[in-house]
Amino acid sequence: MAEHVILFAGPMGSGKTTAIETLSDIEVVATEAANTERDIVDKPTTTVALDYGEIVLGDEEKVRLYGIPGQRRFDFMWSILRERAEGMILLVNNDAPDAIATMIEYLDEFGELYERGGVVIGITRTDISRTPAVADYSRALAKARPGLVVPVLGIDPRSAEHMRMALMALIINIEMRETWSTREAETV
Amino acid sequence: MSTALHKDDRVIDLGRAHLVAMKELCSSLVYAALLTDDGFEVVRLTKSEIDGGRYASMASSMQALSEAVARELRIGSGEYTIIASQSGHVVQLRVPGHPLVLSALFDNDETLGKALASSRQTAEKIAAVLTAVP
Repeated sequence: MAEHVILFAGPMGSGKTTAIETLSDIEVVATEAANTERDIVDKPTTTVALDYGEIVLGDEEKVRLYGIPGQRRFDFMWSILRERAEGMILLVNNDAPDAIATMIEYLDEFGELYERGGVVIGITRTDISRTPAVADYSRALAKARPGLVVPVLGIDPRSAEHMRMALMALIINIEMRETWSTREAETV
Repeated sequence: MSTALHKDDRVIDLGRAHLVAMKELCSSLVYAALLTDDGFEVVRLTKSEIDGGRYASMASSMQALSEAVARELRIGSGEYTIIASQSGHVVQLRVPGHPLVLSALFDNDETLGKALASSRQTAEKIAAVLTAVP
C-alpha cells in the first residue's frame, strides 16, 4: 500500500485538529492541554505536541495526517514533523489578525514542503469573518511569492467533503510531481 | 477571566518556594521548572545555559505525548515521564488536580528513586497549597 505523510499547519484556532478528526478513519491521537491564552484564542484546549490520524483513499493509499501546534513556542515540533512530511495543508482562520500576512509567514516557514510535494491553503472561519475574501489571499500570494502555484480554498474543517477535496488536491499534486521526477530521472 | 497561572504572582511565589525547598533536599537537582499544561513557564530554578521558555514548551509536549501513549496502550494515567541520559535524568509529573507540570533535571549523583520521590513530594505539596488558596 502506498503511503503519504501530510502536515496540517496554521495558527492556533485555525481548525487543524478538527480537520484531522473530520478526515481520519481511526480515533485521532491528540495532545490537547488547557489553553492559557484564552485572551488570544477563546477555546478551552490547544494542541501542544501533535495530532495524528489516518485515512485510506481508494484501496491502495494510506495517508498519515499530522497536525502541529499553532504557537511558535512549539516550533521544535514543527521541525520534527516537517522532516517526515511530503506536503502540507495550511489552514488560516479568516478572523485572525492580519490573516494574509500569517499565510505568507507559514508558507515561508514550510517552504521546503512546497518544493518537496506541494501545499494547499484552506481559509477557515469565513462564516465568522467575511473579509478578506478568498480571492484576496490568492492575489496577495501571487504578489508576494510570484511563481508559487498553490490552490487557495475556502474551507470548513468540519466538512468531510471540503476536507477530502483539499486532501485529494494535494495528493494528486504530490503524485504528479513524483511521476515527473521519475520521468526526468529516466530521461537523464 | 481569571489570571493565567504563569502570570499569577501567588502561584509564582509559592512555586518558587517549593522549588527552593526541593533543591535543599536534593543537591543533585540541576534545574527545575513549574509550567502550565500548554507550555508556559511559571517559575524555575535557573541554570543559565537553559532556555527556560523553550524547556517549558518541550516539557509540555513531552507530558502530552506521554499521556497520549499511556491512553493508547490503556495502561492508566501517566505517573511520571522519565528521560534517562548519560549525564543526568529528567523527571516530570503533573501537579495533581491543577493544569501544571513539574519538570526537574537531576545529575547522576542522584538515584532515580530519590529523584522520583522528591519530585512527587514537591508536586503534591504545590497541589495542596494551591487547592487551599481561595
